[in-house]
Amino acid sequence: MGKRILVWVLPLFLLGLGAVGAEKYIVASDIPWAPFEWASPEGDYLGFDLDVMRCIAVLMGYEIEIRPVAFDSIIPAVVLGEVDIGASGFTITAKREEVVDFSNPYWLSNQAVLVRKDAAFKTLDDLFCCGHKIGAQRGTTGADWVQSNLVDKGVDVQLVLYETYPEAVLDLVNGRLDAVVQDEPASQQSISAYPELTVLDIIETNEYFGFLVASGDPKGLLRKINDGMYRLGLRYDLSLPAEGQWKVKFHIVPGSPWDYLVQAYFGPPLEKVEAAWKACIGTLYDETLTPEERVYEFAKCLAEKASG
Amino acid sequence: MTAVDWQNLVQGVPSLLSGLLINLEILFGLIALGFAVGILIALVQVYSPRPLAALAVGYEWFFRGVPEMVLLMLIYFGLRQFQVRITPFVAAVIALGLRSSAYQSQIFRGAIQAVGRRQMMAALSVGMTRLQAIRHVVLPQALRLSIPPWSNEFSSVLKDTTLASAIGVIEVFKKARFIMGRNYALALPIFLVVALFFLFLTYAGNWALGALERRYRIPGFEAKGAGERF
Repeated sequence: MGKRILVWVLPLFLLGLGAVGAEKYIVASDIPWAPFEWASPEGDYLGFDLDVMRCIAVLMGYEIEIRPVAFDSIIPAVVLGEVDIGASGFTITAKREEVVDFSNPYWLSNQAVLVRKDAAFKTLDDLFCCGHKIGAQRGTTGADWVQSNLVDKGVDVQLVLYETYPEAVLDLVNGRLDAVVQDEPASQQSISAYPELTVLDIIETNEYFGFLVASGDPKGLLRKINDGMYRLGLRYDLSLPAEGQWKVKFHIVPGSPWDYLVQAYFGPPLEKVEAAWKACIGTLYDETLTPEERVYEFAKCLAEKASG
Repeated sequence: MTAVDWQNLVQGVPSLLSGLLINLEILFGLIALGFAVGILIALVQVYSPRPLAALAVGYEWFFRGVPEMVLLMLIYFGLRQFQVRITPFVAAVIALGLRSSAYQSQIFRGAIQAVGRRQMMAALSVGMTRLQAIRHVVLPQALRLSIPPWSNEFSSVLKDTTLASAIGVIEVFKKARFIMGRNYALALPIFLVVALFFLFLTYAGNWALGALERRYRIPGFEAKGAGERF
């Protein structure tokens, strides 16, 4: 009899699993995109964006759950209320502002054009012609740039879109692509993983990254995120628009948690960051310390161990 | 492969196994759902009045005809339009479970029909109700007959669980992609490991079903061919 009951109870039990648990915010991020977000071989989710999110959560007193979501699905997920925050190196663009709200900017990035060293490209003009295949991740500003500045203008190149960035890089290494257009920090990371690759040139797109939430910020998260970034040590020197484009200069307080997080994630090889993260993450959740101490000690530990 | 690659591969195995556990959870959920609904559909198709039977045929036609990937999207994103919020995991169990119920219903329908109409008539003539006859006479024989084709369905849905990654379930295939994204050199070895996991599970599952078949075999009434050579 027991077996027969199980057949009926199991589906009901599984339906019950759908019920939502305790109040916390869900952070969606496209993994892997080192050094902003990736999964270590053991399966820990780490990266600059994610640790900034964790530190802000500790400072502002809320919990987060990190959920890996494909890059081009993050904004739809935020709009539908499926997740609360998008933290995945999102460039603040007018088009995205129509459907979501952004935090203050936290990073300035340009697009790098990644090619193989053995390819005979000397300038961008050599590359942007002759039916060359250029890869980019779907939904990224890099893909947008290739589409609107090359394909739409009739330049003879073929844009190949990928769900994840590493797959595009893999195809570049294997010779199925001639170039990959992607943000600078991620491209630097690929060069350190693949010595046969090099950056042909930087396209100065002056993109500012921001964290994003649903339009109108129904849960009041932006103030928490912006306050949190300030308390981590990120300041701005604002210069008003000269030629219609506003300019923000970042000013990072030396010796602040933000400063340490930047040192930890932008430079050291991934293995060292992973080892450091494993050794330091406990500090961030050490209940005997104040939130400020936890964040400071964690970031400092991470920077010292990663670059040590 | 360098020493670091090997090290990363070994480090990745526990993470992959925790992902595989999710695949197994999806598998048990979808098999149970598919079994319960599948039997119901088969019984309706064989025993109920025509309009109802036609409905069951329509159900089976729909869930056998629509690609799994489309079903996953329909259930996960489609239900959202009606403010029904379910996790990717539950959506995967429902979508893959309903699909499997359509296939399982055909396995059970064939097995029920193989038992034959005369046994039903004989059961009714000794005073059983139709439900009693189904429960005590038809199903015990039909379920035995359905084990061999059912093990085929088992192998098929076991592999289908990796499709759940498309709606955001972090299972073994997704975890393998994370590892590949972290260290590109592992593209080949990491998927070989995943392939080995599934080869093992298929083998173990089919072995268990074979044992079940032998355990419940009625001499002279088994489906011919299990383990026999001609």
